[in-house]
Amino acid sequence: MTSSAQAASAATSPSQTSHRHIKEGFFSRTLPFWLLLPSILVLIVIQVIPGLFSFFLSTQTFERGEQIFVGLRNFERVFSSSAFNASLFHTLFFLIGYVALTMIAGFVIAQMLNRKLRLSAFYITVIFVPWVLSDVVVGLIFRLFIVPDYGLFSAFFADPQIFPPRGISILTTPAAPALVSGVPFPPAPALIYLIFASAWKALPFITLLILAALQTVSREVIESASIDGADGWRTVRYITFPLILPTLIVALFNLTLNGVNGVGLVFSLTGGGPGTATEVLSYLLYTIGFGRLDFGRAAALSVFMAVINLTLILLTLRISRSEREA
Amino acid sequence: MFGIRTIRNQRLALVSGALVMAVLTACAGAPAPTQAPAQPPTQTPAAEAPTSAPEPAAPAAGGESTFVSWYQYDETNTDEKSDERVGNAYLRRTIPIFNEEFKGKYKWVNQPQAWDKMTLNLIAAVQGGGEVPDVMQVDSTAVQTTLYQNGAAQDLTDWIKAQPWFNDLDEGAVSACTGLDGKIYCVPIAETPQLVFYWSDHFPNGYPRTPEDFLSQAEALKQKNVYAITFFGSTDFDGNATTRFFFTTLASFGGGYDDGKGNMLLNRPENVKAVEFIREIVSKGYAPEVVFAGKFQEEEPMKTAEAASFPTGIFGYRYVNPLRAPSGKEYNTKTEQDMIDAIQAGDVKLSAFVAPEGKQPSCGLGVTGLIIPKGARNPEGARAYINWVMDQRNNADWVVAIGGGVPSLDPTRTAAAFQSEFYKQAIQATAGLCRPWQGTLTNPPEAQKIIATAIYKLIKEDPAADIAAELQKAQDEYNSQYAPGS
Repeated sequence: MTSSAQAASAATSPSQTSHRHIKEGFFSRTLPFWLLLPSILVLIVIQVIPGLFSFFLSTQTFERGEQIFVGLRNFERVFSSSAFNASLFHTLFFLIGYVALTMIAGFVIAQMLNRKLRLSAFYITVIFVPWVLSDVVVGLIFRLFIVPDYGLFSAFFADPQIFPPRGISILTTPAAPALVSGVPFPPAPALIYLIFASAWKALPFITLLILAALQTVSREVIESASIDGADGWRTVRYITFPLILPTLIVALFNLTLNGVNGVGLVFSLTGGGPGTATEVLSYLLYTIGFGRLDFGRAAALSVFMAVINLTLILLTLRISRSEREA
Repeated sequence: MFGIRTIRNQRLALVSGALVMAVLTACAGAPAPTQAPAQPPTQTPAAEAPTSAPEPAAPAAGGESTFVSWYQYDETNTDEKSDERVGNAYLRRTIPIFNEEFKGKYKWVNQPQAWDKMTLNLIAAVQGGGEVPDVMQVDSTAVQTTLYQNGAAQDLTDWIKAQPWFNDLDEGAVSACTGLDGKIYCVPIAETPQLVFYWSDHFPNGYPRTPEDFLSQAEALKQKNVYAITFFGSTDFDGNATTRFFFTTLASFGGGYDDGKGNMLLNRPENVKAVEFIREIVSKGYAPEVVFAGKFQEEEPMKTAEAASFPTGIFGYRYVNPLRAPSGKEYNTKTEQDMIDAIQAGDVKLSAFVAPEGKQPSCGLGVTGLIIPKGARNPEGARAYINWVMDQRNNADWVVAIGGGVPSLDPTRTAAAFQSEFYKQAIQATAGLCRPWQGTLTNPPEAQKIIATAIYKLIKEDPAADIAAELQKAQDEYNSQYAPGS
């Protein structure tokens, strides 16, 4: 470097350094934002804008191709239909059965797998199979088991000695008369079967989730509890359960949202039938939107379902927080 | 420090604002349909201006312009076991013929669509200003939805009336393509009436003519472990049963679904009698349980002759195979040929359904045809194609392969393709008896679901329920929301 170049460099150096510092400071401070920005933009494009558009659409109707503002008329149409009331209850019953069955079965199976059984890896692989199947495939398989007269197990269910007095046909036997007028309870056999099929499909993920959490529970803690005289149930209740609670909350969260929004199994297994016995809200939304092409009313129902989803999320978070605090 | 942070915040806000704006602008994409420039004038003044941004079809070398069709069939699918093989083969055969005939002028390109998503895709494309086809296959169950609620088809009235073949069209078929405003929105090419396929060995004296006759024969068949009838009785496919056996029965009893003014009229004595009749069929075990299983599985007992008769659309011949006759004779090509052969051999016959004394049997009438969607870029190509299909040289082929029914054009009925026993019987069984199930109802999809749910409840879920009261409840639910002026 010549002396003149050194002089020039020395002359520009302070301002460049200061500028670089400002730049580095700016980017280092805002780096998280820049890293998140692509995700934020994607979310805006695929969630926020469609969400707002759905709300807009819920106030519109199409008549001969013309979009007309109808205020809350679509909501009124949705809420006043008999199909909506029935599907609301079906969703509730389905959700309770599906979440409870999957969580309990998932917890029990995960506990068993956590005991280092022989061939544990094999069991885990087998258990994982339903998870990789699509809803439609699972629905068709479960349907083939019970199609009246032709299904693999239809003769078993139709046997009056096993299911008195006349046997049942899961896909077609209607629900028993409602115990309370206007509330479709007890549910039809098809809804119970749908719960089993859905639980079977969801079980692998939940089992693995809980198993992973169980494996983080220190063996020393369990052994200490045992030495202190805690029996199996008390150990689970007071040691294991609190330690894996955050994972259980995640599982609960996942199942609840899947349960409210899933449509594939209903579509392929029961088609909402018999009658409307398995018509849950998500299926009703599908049929109004994509079957009857009534986008305004479908959007109104989707707004309602978004509110349900948000409520469930907030409820789950609240339970989670209070459990943690406790 | 404060100043630098303010500058940073401002810069950050500016950059992120610009990015969000860029994304939103990119997403806005094509201009809204209503803001689109008017379509360049077409040669036919009757053609309706499209609503989305149209561009003239890009002429290829030599001035040849491409037009796009949407069919449920796929010419590239050569699977001989495909349910849609007949239509697939038709397109594979005719696309080159058309393109050769119109070389230098029009080139036909087909984009296959799933049959149950075609209407939805079109409406989404029209309303979203997306790519729409120039011509699309439709059936009359989609017509009301497509045309009225969502306005996705062009008004073809003046153009169709100016065509030389218009006066040869069956009036019933034209009415199925006519909107409540009296305008014609589709070109009817094939009629698909509902009729009864029955095993002649199970009904050796022909199909019963009255409900009483049917019930007595059904009892006799039951003693032989044969179901008298199988039908689509579930609420699946959003109440599709409404368009099939339910309408056939109610209409044959002199009933129907509408009052002729757009209102639902379900609670009437004829309908009550018809539901009583179906209820008796179910409660006495004259129909198999699979009738209520949905997904078209009610066809199975007909295939094995465990059920003696099967009311369905004329196009059912394609799907009900292989067959085993009561005599044990097998029709086992596993193609539509099985039913054709069984009919030709006299094992299966076609008939209208039963009707009470003094009434005429009736049935639902569907129509398969073509529409030109709003926003079509090459309506001239579409019109040239429709004229080509309506030409006597090509019409029968389309009716057999795409329509799966009988021709809407009278002269085509004399074509060799329709002289088989199957077509002769089908035309004879349904001549002048059928009509579109929806009548004047303005929201058929909604009506379809409400009616199917009500009738299903009465015949299966609660066989002791008061029929008139339940029909009235369904009628009130529809009329309060969807009747004109509601």
